[in-house]
Amino acid sequence: MSKMENRVLSVEGLSIAFGGLKAVDNLSFDIKEKEIFGLIGPNGAGKTTVFNCITQFYKPNTGEILFKGHGDQVTELTTKPVHDIIKLGLVRTFQNVELIRELSIIDNVLIGGHIDFKANTFSQALRLPKARKEEKQYREEAEKILENLGILDRKDMLVGGQPYGILKKVEMARTLMARPKLIILDEPAAGLNDSETLELAKLIKKIRDEFNCAILLVEHDMRLVMDICDRICAINFGKLLTIGTPKEIQQNPAVQSAYLGVE
Amino acid sequence: MTKEKNILKKYPILGLILFGAVLALVPPLAEAGVLKNGYITTIGGTLIYAIAALGLNILLGWSGLISLGTAGFMGLASYISAYLTIDLELPFEAAFILAVLIPTLLGILVGLVSLKIEGLYLAIATLAVSEVLRKTFEELVPFTGGFSGKSADYPTLLGVFELDRTTTYYFIVAILVIVMILTYNMMNGKLGRALNAMRGSEAAAQAMGVNLLTHRLIAFALATVFASIAGVLYVHFIKFSYPSTWILKLSLDFLAIIIIGGLRSIYGTVLGAFIVFAVPDLFLKQIPYFENLSYVLNGLLIIVVIIFYPNGLVGIGYDIKKFFRKLRKGGKKDE
Repeated sequence: MSKMENRVLSVEGLSIAFGGLKAVDNLSFDIKEKEIFGLIGPNGAGKTTVFNCITQFYKPNTGEILFKGHGDQVTELTTKPVHDIIKLGLVRTFQNVELIRELSIIDNVLIGGHIDFKANTFSQALRLPKARKEEKQYREEAEKILENLGILDRKDMLVGGQPYGILKKVEMARTLMARPKLIILDEPAAGLNDSETLELAKLIKKIRDEFNCAILLVEHDMRLVMDICDRICAINFGKLLTIGTPKEIQQNPAVQSAYLGVE
Repeated sequence: MTKEKNILKKYPILGLILFGAVLALVPPLAEAGVLKNGYITTIGGTLIYAIAALGLNILLGWSGLISLGTAGFMGLASYISAYLTIDLELPFEAAFILAVLIPTLLGILVGLVSLKIEGLYLAIATLAVSEVLRKTFEELVPFTGGFSGKSADYPTLLGVFELDRTTTYYFIVAILVIVMILTYNMMNGKLGRALNAMRGSEAAAQAMGVNLLTHRLIAFALATVFASIAGVLYVHFIKFSYPSTWILKLSLDFLAIIIIGGLRSIYGTVLGAFIVFAVPDLFLKQIPYFENLSYVLNGLLIIVVIIFYPNGLVGIGYDIKKFFRKLRKGGKKDE
């Protein structure tokens, strides 16, 4: 498939309607390997719906979503159940940080490795050597990721009660456990202050460089988007406005009128 | 002292085995006259209930799925085991396996239903299953003996070792410890994390590759396996199974056990079982004029526990430690 050359994700003619409302209407874009790609649009533009269609939380009415995952295998995502998406190398975060408060930080990160554990329930229950070795191996891997993100010293603390900035990092660490080819971040800057947002921008770039993955950023914070994205796709009312570099997007009259209204 | 604690922290399994050893002290102490002889039956029964409650804890505490059907499944297993050993004269081991397998299959069916309904609705659905079972126990006389109940003997292991009350008690302790160890291992590994994730956020769990259907079925299967094991032990220890035992009150007692003892706490579950089942019999009934009010006192105790230990009585250990540390510090200041 030459279409997927240098591409990690290709969305073609994506549409989904809720009742009479066309939330996403014939949207097409693609994401290159190791690219930081922004998806922007005013409130209610359908960003989150696009996101949920890619991760199969919603099944689109029409359209093709191709993903080049582990081993350069190209998969049509719409044929897969939602819990199999991560196995292909596509992981998401959540707008409101969905972690388990009652578990320690490292256990939360280990949930990201769920699909990698090969030992079955039986050998876990009996703590057979194979299961024990596996647990140790992934625990070390999780520690490495936490160290990389600079929060290793907190690994045994409970998630409940941690500051928001830390929670965002824990969620990021959890996605990295799956060694993804593409990470989709759902409004990562929401609820962060200016300096935290700055740190987040650095972190996202660092993840792209060190973990060799592409990043799709769905974001409201224009400064963050303009700052780190290689290319941006702007949508409004479910329809594509334009795709381009941050500069092109800023100068695009359609984007300006979508955000600021028409004079 | 601290060294001992570190060892227990490093090898939690050792702690569980030690815990079993302490429980095994009850019969010798009873023989020596320190404890009353009847305590063996009371404590043995409590430990049986603890096994079933542990299963409910996996379901509710770890997985966030509610069930009011524990009593029904436990009862079903007790009747099956009694029927197979007495009427069909099957060996205890075969009866044990079948009496766990059949209710578990039923439990898995309920798990399938749980994909469609949640929360209070799931509670009502499981309650309905349990009530259907109870009614069946009353009506299916050739199999269950109806209202007059069904009796069974102490288990005979491997066809040779005929157990009596005391040795059956040891058998119960051994099974409890095994179940606790298995639960500990499962809940502190991949499965436990997946169930936790499912409880915390279904969307996040799915995004992390947790198959909700499989894990709900596993949770229900484990809960029914534990309830069934408890049912089998019950009928071969108490030696009788009546329909009036397997009522909603018992299912609610299991709920009380894990809430009082501590959700997601293995030791807490056993502690909760003691509060709910053993304390009224062993202590409250000894208070003069209060024999018949023991369950009222128990109700009050439960309310007090929930007010002061909303995360379960298992947190009391931490508070005691803190108290002693304070005392020690206070003492040093005086010096």
